Amino acid sequence: MQLQDNPADIQRRLPLLAAFVIIFTVVLFVRLWYLQAVKGEYYLEQAESNRIRPVKLRPPRGIMYDRKGRPIVENALTFDISLVPEDAPDRDAAIRSLADRLKIRPEDIQAALDEAAPIRGKYEPVKITEEAAWDQVAVVESHQDDLPGALVEPEHRRHYPYGGLASHQLGYIGKMTGSQRKKDTGDIGLLTGQGGLEKVYDKLLRGVAGRRMIQVNAAGRKVKDLGIEEPQPGNDLYLTLDLDVQRAAEEALGDRAGAVVAMDPNSGEIIALASHPNYDPNLFPRGISPKDWVRLANDPAHPLYNRAVQSVYPPGSIFKIVVSLAGLQTGVIKLDDKVHCSGSLRSGRHTFRCWKKGGHGSISFHDALVGSCDVYFYTMGERIGYDIIAQFAGNLGLGKLTGIKLADEKAGNIPTTAWKKQRTGEAWYPGDTYINSIGQGFVQVSPIQACQMIAAIANNGKFYQPTLLRQSRNRETGVVTPVLPEQTRAFKMDPAALAEIRRALLGVTTESNGTAHGAATPFATVAAKTGTAQVIAQKVAGTKLSASTQDHAWLVAYAPADNPRIAVAVLVEHGGHGGAAAAPVARKVIEEFMKNAGTTVAR
Amino acid sequence: MLGRRSLANLPWGLIGLIALIALIGLSAVYSATYTAKGPSMLFYKQMVWIAAGMVVMFLMMLPDYHTVGRYAYILYAASIIMLLLVMVMGKTGMGAQRWLAIGPFAFQPSELAKLALMLALARYFAEDPRRDGYSLQDLAIPGAMVLVPLLLVLKQPDLGTAMMLLLTSSLMVMIAGVHFRSVVTIVLIAAVVAASVFLVPPVRHKVWGSLKPYQQNRIKAFINPSSDPLGSGYHANQSKIAVGSGQITGKGFRQGTQSQMAFLPERHTDFIFAVISEEHGFMGSGLMIILYLILLLIGVDTARNAKDRMGALMAAGVVSMITIYVFINVGMSAGIVPVVGVPLPLVSYGGTSVITTFLALGLLLNIQTRRFMLFY
Repeated sequence: MQLQDNPADIQRRLPLLAAFVIIFTVVLFVRLWYLQAVKGEYYLEQAESNRIRPVKLRPPRGIMYDRKGRPIVENALTFDISLVPEDAPDRDAAIRSLADRLKIRPEDIQAALDEAAPIRGKYEPVKITEEAAWDQVAVVESHQDDLPGALVEPEHRRHYPYGGLASHQLGYIGKMTGSQRKKDTGDIGLLTGQGGLEKVYDKLLRGVAGRRMIQVNAAGRKVKDLGIEEPQPGNDLYLTLDLDVQRAAEEALGDRAGAVVAMDPNSGEIIALASHPNYDPNLFPRGISPKDWVRLANDPAHPLYNRAVQSVYPPGSIFKIVVSLAGLQTGVIKLDDKVHCSGSLRSGRHTFRCWKKGGHGSISFHDALVGSCDVYFYTMGERIGYDIIAQFAGNLGLGKLTGIKLADEKAGNIPTTAWKKQRTGEAWYPGDTYINSIGQGFVQVSPIQACQMIAAIANNGKFYQPTLLRQSRNRETGVVTPVLPEQTRAFKMDPAALAEIRRALLGVTTESNGTAHGAATPFATVAAKTGTAQVIAQKVAGTKLSASTQDHAWLVAYAPADNPRIAVAVLVEHGGHGGAAAAPVARKVIEEFMKNAGTTVAR
Repeated sequence: MLGRRSLANLPWGLIGLIALIALIGLSAVYSATYTAKGPSMLFYKQMVWIAAGMVVMFLMMLPDYHTVGRYAYILYAASIIMLLLVMVMGKTGMGAQRWLAIGPFAFQPSELAKLALMLALARYFAEDPRRDGYSLQDLAIPGAMVLVPLLLVLKQPDLGTAMMLLLTSSLMVMIAGVHFRSVVTIVLIAAVVAASVFLVPPVRHKVWGSLKPYQQNRIKAFINPSSDPLGSGYHANQSKIAVGSGQITGKGFRQGTQSQMAFLPERHTDFIFAVISEEHGFMGSGLMIILYLILLLIGVDTARNAKDRMGALMAAGVVSMITIYVFINVGMSAGIVPVVGVPLPLVSYGGTSVITTFLALGLLLNIQTRRFMLFY
């Protein structure tokens, strides 16, 4: 029950409330009119010059570690001096005083600004001096009032602590090219992978940029932090390379041009991948100087070339492994059949020599492969037929891309009769069979293919995808993504034939007439095959060969012979004889690997 | 209970006006919270809150407002308990304990307290009428009713809501009627207190020292905004720039540089009016003010037509509350009131504020639909 009382007295005072409502409304109305209509233009200008800026925070690029967890590519914190030209009221004066303080030429600053002009956004800093010296950093920090627009930017700079070591595989980073920029969202200062793994795994390594909102004063100086969106660091890469083995390979090559590939035959993991001459990737992150670039690009030794995957060479006698397998598996080569080697073989008007001037005499398969008798393999090549040999070569991966994730891999060539006809219009002559049977002529393979072939001999015909990456790791979450061994195919080989070949390859380092005693080591039994690829067709008797016409030296090997754990291919350009030039390199690599094998960090 | 006949008699014009304001507000929240990936979750949440608000508004019309009045003291007591609870186990946000978590929801008891206090005062004045106004002694009990939640809210500390409670209650007391002598006395006391705070150094230091640094800064920045435009005056300055730069016609929906580029802080809550002003100019801000004016005048009219003291006082209370909130919030965005952090009714993002406003408006509709009824 409610008392229905009279609300008259209250309602008498309601005009007071209405008055309040109306007065408040009028006050707000007038105020809004004043702000928006009277002072609108002033505030619009204020809004447009609002001095709040997003500052891009670059994430640190992922680190690369070797297979034992040692950093092989890292970041170093450095400081750059940059200029925001919009913050300098008098740009010319600002450039002059900055040049004066940094002791550089004003023209250089102007050039940097001009270069950045077409691609930079408003208020985006332009780098003037990268990796500034401490006194330069100090001068900019302490004279901020005299240097409008100048600022110091901390930067994670890429550092390759081992210089040129594995430089072709690790790659380098640099500024994006114009066409890359069109497809990329990175900002103007972003350095991206331009070669090697830096390029292949750029998206993984790069991370995601963050952002800091800052408020700046009229001179562009930060006066307040308004918020931060942390950058996400790039993923770390754990490589398959073993720093020790890599170093042993490169030291063994010395200043000779060439390549070394060492692979785990049971997984396809690349343990060492060297190409000489190399270059110092530390030249690139800071922007390579034109002088350095011209020197690298025009060097007749082609230091930028990754010889292990981008160069193809006639395989020479290492190709006799292919002919042996083709012959034994097809039954053409019988172990006890003997061929007489007098030091040469005549065919029509041509004479085809054996490397051993006096000849090998009457020789059977085992001794012919151990001693690398050319005449024996001329003969067998002719009996097998070259198209059959080419088929085996293809099955062993020669003349085909291995698919390793590195740029510009070359396939090389395995000729067939049809190929020659199509290519030159000429028929395939018996002489073609001879010289191509000992890996000369049209046959061309890359060092990594040679390594893959010997790995397949070592592991009974299994082909694994050669890889340089074992795993990647997200630095923030710690989540590890492993790259598991991937068997791409298997080549079925006759076990008896394979056993015979492997026995001969062991003989190459152990028997008296073997050609690669230099590859033998007390650390493991080594099975190997030498190759000496002629650079010019025939030697002119009695003349000494100059450096550029000397033969390429090859060696393929695996060890231990009874339980292979490492497969190696060595190529020394113009090195001379494989046994003399390439075998010691392979031995160093195998020794270094066997010394500390088994210490690989768990995946 | 409302019959089918009274459904046709519902004040649909007023309901449409409320819905219009809420929809404009929702579009502003959409714009203010829009992200690079599309509309923000906050927008969808606000949409749900407004839908829920509409429902509770209709529910609020069902019981007789006298029934609501009967529960006024219980509601008041409950809100005081919740304010106490928030001190003990509340969530902290922006340097103050204001939130109480119930399951997945977090709500602000102080928002509920303002409604409960208004209802309690309406009941008190309705049941203890003084035809010729209240004397100071008469105001002792309602004064205590105001003081308890006020001190609890101040303790959080939430200066803004405390100010709202005080101003809304003062307006209500004024409508309930006060002796002229009492008004003079209150003004004198207030003047003496204010003078001692400003002029007597020990008192000033004590009062000033009891404020949180951010409160001190806000007051300093209000008195002299240009003293530190990047510091505490930042909110006020950025808001004024946003409002002013909208000019007459505005920059267009989702085109406000201040709002979209995150220069404007708290843009979906306390400074939502600045977003509307920037993007729709004086056309938009002026329209909003006029819509609120119409809403509030309808409210005054409802009070004028109410059949009894309870109805008149409740309606006047709702009008007082919304008037103060709109004035303080818009005034804050326009730089004529210190930044105290109060929401714009129906428009600012936030569940508690949206629901309490709809509850209050439901009460207003309730009173309006029952203006011709007789109660015995």
